[in-house]
Amino acid sequence: MSKPTEGPVPTRPPLWRNIVVIKWVAQLGSLIALVWLAYVLITQATANLRATGIPFSWDFLGEPLGVKLSEGFNTDPESGLEALSVGMVNMIRITWSGVVAATVLGTIIGIARLSSNWIVSRIANSYIEFFRNIPLLVQILFWQALIIGVLPDLTPDMEGSRWLFASPKGIAIPWLIPQAGRWQYMVLLAVGVVVARWTYKKRIEILEREGRETHAFGWATGVFLVFLIGGWFAHPIAGVLGWLFQALAWVAGNLPVISFQWLMGGLSLALAAWFIVRYMRKLRSPAGMAKLTDDDYFRLGVAGFLGIVLFFFFVSGAGEATIIRVMGRSLTYKMNWGFEPLFNFLATKYDFSGGSPLRFSLPEVEVPTNFPRYASDAGNSMTPGFVATWLGVTLYAAAFIGEIVRAGIMAVHRGQSEAASALGLHRAQSLRLVVLPQAFRVVLPPLGSQYLNLAKNTSLGIAVAYADVVQVGQTIFNQEGQTLPVFIFWMAFYSSVSLFLSGIVNYYNRRMELVER
Amino acid sequence: MAAKQTGNGSTPAIVCEGVKKWFGDFQALSGVTTTIGWGEVVVVIGPSGSGKSTFIRCINRLESHQAGRIVVDGREMTNDLRNIDAIRRDVGMVFQQFNLFPHLTVMENITLAPIWVRNRTRTDAESQARQLLERVGIPEQADKYPGQLSGGQQQRVAIARSLAMNPRIMLFDEPTSALDPEMIKEVLDVMKELAESGMTMIVVTHEMGFAREVAHRVLFFDYGTVVEEGTPEHFFTNPQHDRTKLFLSQIL
Repeated sequence: MSKPTEGPVPTRPPLWRNIVVIKWVAQLGSLIALVWLAYVLITQATANLRATGIPFSWDFLGEPLGVKLSEGFNTDPESGLEALSVGMVNMIRITWSGVVAATVLGTIIGIARLSSNWIVSRIANSYIEFFRNIPLLVQILFWQALIIGVLPDLTPDMEGSRWLFASPKGIAIPWLIPQAGRWQYMVLLAVGVVVARWTYKKRIEILEREGRETHAFGWATGVFLVFLIGGWFAHPIAGVLGWLFQALAWVAGNLPVISFQWLMGGLSLALAAWFIVRYMRKLRSPAGMAKLTDDDYFRLGVAGFLGIVLFFFFVSGAGEATIIRVMGRSLTYKMNWGFEPLFNFLATKYDFSGGSPLRFSLPEVEVPTNFPRYASDAGNSMTPGFVATWLGVTLYAAAFIGEIVRAGIMAVHRGQSEAASALGLHRAQSLRLVVLPQAFRVVLPPLGSQYLNLAKNTSLGIAVAYADVVQVGQTIFNQEGQTLPVFIFWMAFYSSVSLFLSGIVNYYNRRMELVER
Repeated sequence: MAAKQTGNGSTPAIVCEGVKKWFGDFQALSGVTTTIGWGEVVVVIGPSGSGKSTFIRCINRLESHQAGRIVVDGREMTNDLRNIDAIRRDVGMVFQQFNLFPHLTVMENITLAPIWVRNRTRTDAESQARQLLERVGIPEQADKYPGQLSGGQQQRVAIARSLAMNPRIMLFDEPTSALDPEMIKEVLDVMKELAESGMTMIVVTHEMGFAREVAHRVLFFDYGTVVEEGTPEHFFTNPQHDRTKLFLSQIL
């Protein structure tokens, strides 16, 4: 064997040329910069707020508001948090009903736009162009003007019940009014859905094993109907939950003060451990453990380090001190304050009481003095603010959803519907079984962002005095001067709603993905 | 002509008389007249743009003809939806691009139409689908999705999907043109077996070997009409028309 040829002897490169060192320094540097920036911003903000004489504080959440709200499940809230809850529920009310209505309307419009019927497609096209090209705020104001300016006023001779009232005081429609038993009934319905799904799966399993028709869908529907009808009478059995909530309230009420700190400390450790375990599992393949790169070491190291630091931070009392400094109050206190009443509240809803969970009721006009108004306990009377906001966001979103649906259908290759026709499927069957399922796959991501837009656009309801979370929050900071906490509250709330919505959409998106090689 | 009489009564499978079709200014079909008997295998060849595909797409009304008559199994193709439905149920079609439904498994692709159009039970349709997959040689692929199959396998699924409706006439629109060379044979073998079983077939193709071996009759299309027709023997050895001679000299 000859001596290997002489080459340049590999030496350690100087530090500033060593890519491993450069990577570590850059990662650590940006991490430190980020922490420092957050620290500066927070201390600066708290110092400045203190200087204005209005120190940062969440106290308004517990203090009486002294203002009545125009609508919601509680128009006379006792605290800031209660007022904000009313606002949140009002926002969610418009969002979910708007999402459902805009989806149905948008799908119809999208299909109509592609219709070979000239008139139908022109109507759909005009709808889209009209609602898409006018700012939403203008549309909402327009609907309000229409309700207040054009509808005939209520007159004393209208006293009594009818199927529909429309007046500048709002629009009233028949409604199923929830009664005391509705909480128990809802639990039974939820159980019904779960059992029906389970039945469906079981029947499909039998079908696949024995190869005979098992009418899985019929069975599932039947099971749900049993719960729907049986639950109407049997709902008091769900009162058992009352005991559970009482127990939980007792536990929350008896949490030792330290427990919150240990909870957060433990949570930090658990999160770090979870991250590390998950990361390691991802690196493991059937062939064995992958070699860890510097990047992997960095992430694992930072995760472990942060977990330990946060644990000592919370447990040592330094965390408690910081929280008091930043929030103006200990969070331990808030923890008990929040959960004990919540579970007590839930416990009062589950109490074995009978009676029908829902009551059908027609809207009614009453004339207590000379001024007629909608009776608050009959039908569903919607304020002009609600109707204008709802119409605005729904019709606006439907125009965009129409275009999204059209794009989805057009994205399905023409050969698909030709193949369906050649097999003898009718146009409606081909649309339902072949084209729409494939279009749905294309449509989901943009549809998801449209839902998020709709949810966020509801905040424009402030223009027509709709008592959603923005309007309530604004009332609060006008009164208390606590601008920053209210903004934090808004951002946290809207982010949660948006993340929830996109979570659902992403879930379906994953399920609808095509199987490719 | 080697046509067998397997249809009901004495009407031929397909009668075309002076079929014309325009796309805007462009005349795709300029008077096609031909009669196809039961059990006959007709291969349609011709240069691209000569109207071959348009012709067979008119037979199951994927395109509508604007003049002339098309009579399938004694039913004239008109604007009557009931006629169109009846004809489509009896006429299967296989496309160049397979057009399988990518969101459904192979099994679901095959059973979709029998369940929804013929109102058969799922178990019934599935057992038939298994037989058909056996017949086209891929019984083990039933639970896969089209995206997981090779081109040749996809086209064989497409053939099985058409056969599941128990058609009496099959139309093939360039069934092997989108396939890799080594996959063409597996599809042609299935088609050969189908022809031997007595199926009435119209095949648009560039596979001259298939035409020579299986066809009872060859139609040569150009400028939207049948320029020349005859048995494969006559067609490939003794073509009469100049256009046919030119075409054959270019491809053989």
